[in-house]
Amino acid sequence: MRDPYSVLGVSPNASDEEVKKAYRELARKYHPDNYQNNPLADLAEEKMKEINEAYDTITKQRSGGGGYQSSQSYGGGYQQSYSSNNSTYARVRSMINGGDLAGAERLLFEVNQRDGEWYFLSGSIAYRKGWMDEAMQNYSRAVQMDPNNMEYRQALAIMQRGAGGYRPAGYGGGMDSLDCCTTMLCLNCLCGGGHC
Amino acid sequence: MFGYVRPYRPELKCKDFDLYRATYCGLCRCLRRRYGLIAPMFLNFDFTFLALVLWEGEERWEPCRGRCHANPLVKKTMCVQSPALELAADESVVLAWWKLRDSVKDEGFFGGLPARGLSLLLGRAYGKAARRVPDFDRGVKVCLEELEKLEQERCPSLDRTADTFARLLQSAAPAQGEQGRILGQLLYHLGRWIYLADARDDLSEDQAAGRYNPVAARYGPSGDDKALALTMDQSLGQMGAALQLGEFGCRKALLENMIYLGLPLVQRAVFDGSWAQIKKQKIWRHDT
Repeated sequence: MRDPYSVLGVSPNASDEEVKKAYRELARKYHPDNYQNNPLADLAEEKMKEINEAYDTITKQRSGGGGYQSSQSYGGGYQQSYSSNNSTYARVRSMINGGDLAGAERLLFEVNQRDGEWYFLSGSIAYRKGWMDEAMQNYSRAVQMDPNNMEYRQALAIMQRGAGGYRPAGYGGGMDSLDCCTTMLCLNCLCGGGHC
Repeated sequence: MFGYVRPYRPELKCKDFDLYRATYCGLCRCLRRRYGLIAPMFLNFDFTFLALVLWEGEERWEPCRGRCHANPLVKKTMCVQSPALELAADESVVLAWWKLRDSVKDEGFFGGLPARGLSLLLGRAYGKAARRVPDFDRGVKVCLEELEKLEQERCPSLDRTADTFARLLQSAAPAQGEQGRILGQLLYHLGRWIYLADARDDLSEDQAAGRYNPVAARYGPSGDDKALALTMDQSLGQMGAALQLGEFGCRKALLENMIYLGLPLVQRAVFDGSWAQIKKQKIWRHDT
């Protein structure tokens, strides 16, 4: 295993507070919420595991190397907590999770009766492919057909926040935080004013 | 590639600005050395971004001095030659050439004359580049043919047409390993975003000329800026998520600036029409 301090990006002399801060920032960055249904979710999960382990190791070491340490690390959140009653849908879900999008799409199109879950799964496939517009349409349809389903509503809500999600310090609210300048002024500053 | 991908200067640290310029100038020199005097004319911001992401994460940047191509009396700081820079140069030439061929087809005989002339000039360089990156060249050709077919069919799906251009750009990154997957995802959504930005930019022009426009085909003749902005934002979100997972070393802060600040600003400019003015600022004009 890598040195836990270098995983968190702090020096071994860092105070407990600094370690915690670094850990929190990283946990925020790789939080499962930011990678829901993202084709790179497995990589984010690995990162999250690595920083959780590093943080646990450091807190254990610092508390005297033993005993029970109430670990404050974030638990996993990647477990698929939803399941399907329909066996075809269950297979489609596992194919999506395994990255076999073409297979999942083929299987899904064999289903004749299109219900909320059909549109939700169709949306998930589109989302994974990067077809955001079709994902949005399918999720909306799923929510319309089954308004009480939390899974569909959550998927749609994530899409409606647009470019939201994690941003490093300093890029907080996106462009809206730069309200001090008019758009024109900002635009002249885009590299290209003959300066580079 | 149309020069949409730029950093936002006021929020750049000096070192990142230096890095950006050095990469830009380094790519220019690399193009000149590999492809002669004509190729650097086609250098643009988007290709610089490509060079920045293709770099190995742990590779530091070493500045060196070299003569400017546009003004040989001036010496500039540039990145030293590296495999990433060479790959970016090869792919830039391939992309620039296919872009010209595309214009020749689109503009008819007389309108296409300038592009035809330029593609003659670039022809030799293209031949060389296509031999160096044959798979990429073939991929670009296939994707553009698919795109052309969809445009002729007046495809109503925004995603399907954007997907061809997105895959085209995605193939610019080597597909191996974790970093390859991450770059692939980042470039896919960059390609999608560029395609949509360009379609929105051409909306009124295409409407006047009666040409196919994917935004009009999806949302109706006057478009739907709110819906389009949301779907473009979603691609920006995916790019940010991919960026955070990759190894970009000393280039990370610069890339963050471009993705979190530069692209959203350009998007806004495309929507409110001020982009037409900004894009005219020719990038090979070095004043400083």
